[in-house]
Amino acid sequence: MRRKLIGILGMLLLASATLARLPVLRAQEPQKEGPPEPTIKVGDEAPDFTLLDQNRKPVSLHDYRGKKTVALAFYVFAFTGG
Amino acid sequence: MQNFQQNLQKLEAADTQVLGVSLDSTFSNAAWAEKIGVTFPLLSDWGGDVTHKYGIYNSKYKAARRVTYLIDKEGKVVEMQVDSEAIDPTKLVNYCEVHKPKK
Repeated sequence: MRRKLIGILGMLLLASATLARLPVLRAQEPQKEGPPEPTIKVGDEAPDFTLLDQNRKPVSLHDYRGKKTVALAFYVFAFTGG
Repeated sequence: MQNFQQNLQKLEAADTQVLGVSLDSTFSNAAWAEKIGVTFPLLSDWGGDVTHKYGIYNSKYKAARRVTYLIDKEGKVVEMQVDSEAIDPTKLVNYCEVHKPKK
């Protein structure tokens, strides 16, 4: 009787130890919010756009197609460095 | 943007148009351009559509990530710089000068 009990207890212990290792059952760690990964990369076609410049004049990427190379510089905010 | 302005002559000589983009309004871009003496277009992506399209909208700051793309005449991205690397355009200037069309 006692042996049987010890045996069952041992098996329970083993089972719980195994279960704890399964990643599915662990509480999900909160995802860290990192900076966004650019979806457009070297070799990709640059998506076209039309936006207003500081003089409210529309500027499109396709304006420069076949004419000039474009350095498209996204910046965080006006009135900051860089 | 100041760094681009400083390198503007070199970039223009290499047949390159500089375009700044941010989520600022045209009004704050106009004020800023005047303050720092920027002569190239500063584009207002008000609402963030273009920034989203390029996958660089940072929801934490509600702003664009600092990324510079070099786009060739065929509309293809040939070079890019991200974050602190994007502050100094020297690499892009060099690229443009090397690939400058021979006249």
